[in-house]
Amino acid sequence: MMILTARTIVSAVRPPYPYGEELVGQFLFVLKLSWFPMTISTFALCLGAPGLQAAGILSLFGNLDRLGGFFVVTAVRFIGPIVTAAVVAGVAGTAITADLGARKIREELDALQVLGVDPIKNLVVPRFLALMVITGLLDIFAVVFGMSAGIAAELLYHQPLGGFFATLFANALITDLAASVTMCSMFGAIIAVVCCYKGMTASGGPAGVGRAVNQAVVIAFMGVFAFLYVFTTVLLATNPELQAIR
Amino acid sequence: MTGWLDVPRGWLDAFGEIARFGSRVAGLVYSGRVLRYFGESLRQAGILILGSALVIWAFVFILGLQCGVIGAYFNRSIGAPSLAGLFSAYCDLREGLPYAFGYILSAKVGTGIVAELGAMRISDEIDALEVMGIQPVTFLAATRLLGAWIAIPFLYLVGVGVAYFASYLAVVDQVGDVSSGGYLLVFWTYQDFVDVLFSLAKGMVMTTVIVLVGCYYGYTASGGPVGVGTATAKSMVVNIIMVHIIGMLGTFMFYGANPRAPIGG
Repeated sequence: MMILTARTIVSAVRPPYPYGEELVGQFLFVLKLSWFPMTISTFALCLGAPGLQAAGILSLFGNLDRLGGFFVVTAVRFIGPIVTAAVVAGVAGTAITADLGARKIREELDALQVLGVDPIKNLVVPRFLALMVITGLLDIFAVVFGMSAGIAAELLYHQPLGGFFATLFANALITDLAASVTMCSMFGAIIAVVCCYKGMTASGGPAGVGRAVNQAVVIAFMGVFAFLYVFTTVLLATNPELQAIR
Repeated sequence: MTGWLDVPRGWLDAFGEIARFGSRVAGLVYSGRVLRYFGESLRQAGILILGSALVIWAFVFILGLQCGVIGAYFNRSIGAPSLAGLFSAYCDLREGLPYAFGYILSAKVGTGIVAELGAMRISDEIDALEVMGIQPVTFLAATRLLGAWIAIPFLYLVGVGVAYFASYLAVVDQVGDVSSGGYLLVFWTYQDFVDVLFSLAKGMVMTTVIVLVGCYYGYTASGGPVGVGTATAKSMVVNIIMVHIIGMLGTFMFYGANPRAPIGG
């Protein structure tokens, strides 16, 4: 997988660039697959976990307006990236592995190589770049729907929304959002490499593609979560300005 | 090429089919007819434990670390670092753990079932079972559901322990704002046995849905080796959405009216 990563990056920056059309195609493909699960998942997770649980605690203290500040911590820093990674790995990653695995089983990849077409440059690189970009952008999407879930939680507790927005904007920092988007782009890269690798090395008849998808999604989840933990630790430890509630 | 509305439409289509298939399988388990193949159920439970337990616990461990780090820094930011236990108790037990469990279960177990049953369907083994006079739905799907019901509660409860340990490591040893005793006092104050049951209930509903979705997509796979891969990918879409919806409904049901926190009267 490391070799595949290195070769992908090298062939992405080295001319010629024949993958423009495929890049746009993959971009739209991932977006079409992911937008619906993304909407439902983010809204549900943010309404349940930080919305209702935190609002329950805060309503005991009578300071429900602080929910906005809490949503910056959870929705932007934690839940947005997690849901984006889970949806992209589960929906787009599996589709990529199934697609490439099918081509491998039907020996289309070998045929491409015989024709003198580099499968890494023409198949892996566009998926890699498309997933990197789209995962970062879907994170913004996740944050928007997470915030709307926060608004829904406030409304469920019959609160005016002014306090929510006041603490939300007081606590929102560009560092948080930038870190969240960067983190998600890295997730996209991890998912793309794992899924492409597993798809391109699928073997073993009918069970092979299914097993490749299974392994790809497990490895992608583990890799993404391990990366999430390391990234969050480094981010919080090195940015003291994130550690003050305003 | 897929259209913009294909995913929601396909999901709605599949939902009814899965509900019918799932109620049939659950009926087979409840009516006790699956007990004819109890040995197969035990074998499936064993496969689940040997094959998936370590992956599930590793994933849950990472989630516990994450909860601990976020909680420790959040509580430092509000000037109450000694209350980090509150955040990790909520994040681990009530919310984070069911979701993480659902993710990794749908990734490892759900897609695994689809790949396995799909391969059987493609190579006509399911038809062969029928010819041999064995009901394939009972033998393949119902035994897997019963096996999951046997094994998963224990995996889940151990997972709770693993997540607690990871949060402890992150809060006390890594960030280190609070002493071990101070952390554990708050941590154990903000949960009780009923919370564990609620969390387990969420996890078990997710497990049931994931196994049924996996069995449905595997059982109805078609279209050669490629079809198995596509079915596996499709099952993941449904699973991801269902995990989130079940988690949200569970929170509404269990904590919506009563936050269950030892604060005030």
